Amino acid sequence: MTPWTEAGAAVGLVATALVLGASATRVLDGVISDLTARRPVAWRRALVGPLQDAALCVLQQGAVTERPDREGWTLASALLPALAALSVVVIPIAPGAAIADVPAGLVLFGAATALVVIAVFLHGWSANSVFPLIGAYRFIALALSIEIPFFLVLIAAALPAESLAVGDVVRAQASVWNVVRQPLGLPIYLIGGLGVAFWGPLAVSDAEDLAGGTLAEVSGLGRLFWTWGQACMLVAVAAMGASAFLGGWMGPLLPGPVWLAMKTFLLLAILVSMGHLFARVRLERFVTFAWTVLIPLSLVDVFLSGLLVL
Amino acid sequence: VGLRRILAQLASGGPAPVFPLLGAGAASLERVLRLDSRLRVVDSPRAANILFVGGEVTAGLLRPVVAMHDMMSHPRATVWAPLEAPTRRLQKVFPDVTLLNPEDDVVAEVARIHGELLSDRRKSERGVLPERDAAPWRDVGPYGQGGTGMTGGVPYGRPMATRAPDRDGLELDKLDLRVGPFFPPLPRGLVLDVQLQGDVIQKALVSTNPFRRVRSRLPGDVFRAALAGPVPIEEIELARARHHLKWLAGMLRVHGLAALSFRALALSRDLSLRSASAVRELGQLLERTRGLGWATAGVGVLPHATAGAATGPVARAAGYEVDARLQDPGYRELEFTPVVQHEGDARARWRQRIAEAVQGVELAARAGDRHTGSLDQVEGPRGVLGPFGSSWETLVGELPTILEGQEWGDAITTLVSLDLDMEGSP
Repeated sequence: MTPWTEAGAAVGLVATALVLGASATRVLDGVISDLTARRPVAWRRALVGPLQDAALCVLQQGAVTERPDREGWTLASALLPALAALSVVVIPIAPGAAIADVPAGLVLFGAATALVVIAVFLHGWSANSVFPLIGAYRFIALALSIEIPFFLVLIAAALPAESLAVGDVVRAQASVWNVVRQPLGLPIYLIGGLGVAFWGPLAVSDAEDLAGGTLAEVSGLGRLFWTWGQACMLVAVAAMGASAFLGGWMGPLLPGPVWLAMKTFLLLAILVSMGHLFARVRLERFVTFAWTVLIPLSLVDVFLSGLLVL
Repeated sequence: VGLRRILAQLASGGPAPVFPLLGAGAASLERVLRLDSRLRVVDSPRAANILFVGGEVTAGLLRPVVAMHDMMSHPRATVWAPLEAPTRRLQKVFPDVTLLNPEDDVVAEVARIHGELLSDRRKSERGVLPERDAAPWRDVGPYGQGGTGMTGGVPYGRPMATRAPDRDGLELDKLDLRVGPFFPPLPRGLVLDVQLQGDVIQKALVSTNPFRRVRSRLPGDVFRAALAGPVPIEEIELARARHHLKWLAGMLRVHGLAALSFRALALSRDLSLRSASAVRELGQLLERTRGLGWATAGVGVLPHATAGAATGPVARAAGYEVDARLQDPGYRELEFTPVVQHEGDARARWRQRIAEAVQGVELAARAGDRHTGSLDQVEGPRGVLGPFGSSWETLVGELPTILEGQEWGDAITTLVSLDLDMEGSP
């Protein structure tokens, strides 16, 4: 294979994985929404709904506000799925089978998810409208409080492997998964993941009290890219969670990729369910909680994991 | 063209995105629109293809309706279910509006029109407002920027967000904006002029109520009927529980719990004498998950006297054991005692209303054929109703004091928790 063919295949693979993952997220969301609402599960709608929504967005004209930052707006909608793609390339689906199993994979994942704050801010800022702007500022206010514990527990997950390569982190769980070895890790990671994907209780930037926040002025393809980008980010968070805490591809009988897909699906189901059961947080109270509870607990997680390694 | 046809076919099989603008007398349409899977009610007109106008569009609502219409993206159409309202005003402005008759199936009609829009059998509506700047600015000022300077000036014809001392004396950017009368999280018809610094409300003023002259024309409900003469307690208590569940659905939606909101709204529609356990179960779920309590505890605590003057669930959530039903012989036979909370915050108010919804269904189930007595005052779902008005109307006048200094999210939580009704306000 030439380098160009390899690059094309890698892009195709990541895009396919993300589209499938995002579709699965939307289907899961429809089913869990029906179950929570106590209405019969509309399977047809759950399965076809994501495609119907996408088609509607394609047919809808993009909204134009007065004097928007057009370049910024377009860039924000493209940046989010791109960051999700960058986050998943480091995750191996089988031993040695990752698009980029780089030595510092966790750092790359952390950098990509940290940049979500840029995408969200740009998305809110560029509309030149009040409620999107407030949504953007809200995310800035939240970001640090979720990213610190999110990355700390990932660092703790890397300690037993003594490596930042995601493949090594998975291999180090051959005897026992990190979810058992570091019981604090996965719950804190999932709370941080909700923030990184600005989903459910941490959807402060696209909130209903702001008539949709950064999405309030968006329609058409912009809305499609943004909502699917958010679903892709949830997939990336779930896939990394499955690798860092649930042993990634490892499992009996079934092939590695199937195990990874099942574990990712399980975490996705938890994340989506949290979105339907927990009310959106009050920003000030959550930030206090993050700095007084989540960050100290994630530091304890790091110290205990370090002690175990020693 | 082939691809477009395939996309249109695919999209028309899904729910039609609708932005509802419910005018006077159309409150009941909200439940119809939200509970039907053929429609999806959206938060912003940008995401809608159908502008659904219901009831009477009063003079004060006309301009906001036009503004919302022009904000929608193409393809778009306006559907109006005027109910009993006069139809000329809106037709003059929107010549292309589709008028629905009272006997029409509202949802089916909206879905049909959406299908026609997507398949190009119906033309997308043009904008109503003229294609010119809201305030002229071009070629004005030394650089043609519309005014003088930047910060503090008027580029693009409007004052920019400029700096002013905040409530703590810091110099911060301030932003003036008007929200309402159709801002989804706010009570329908409430128009607020707010001055924001960051997302903190520095000042809030309640603007003219667009529903101010409609009260006498609105269809009566069982609570108003009780003012005129005895009504069955079963009927009035089920209506109270339905009201509280409908309010709960709106509150849950604002807090990001759309599926639970649907559950509350469906419960409100299907409520029967056997529904007490279902309502209690929903309340227990909200308590167990703790998220809602966490988001609302300590928010929107009113001055004790203000809460007391409001009567109803707002007063009882602040510890006042006041209830017009205590004076009613029919309720005394049922050994009625009011439910009371003590914190007086937004959390106490939703707990109060869920408890009152459960109590309402239980009272209705025990009421048999008992009727309310002939009294001067009736305990409505929002507070005491009298022949000359309702005590909770005082809350609208208190809003500037209540909202000042609150962050936007807390302000919305507070406003929702008060269950204001602009149609019933002067």
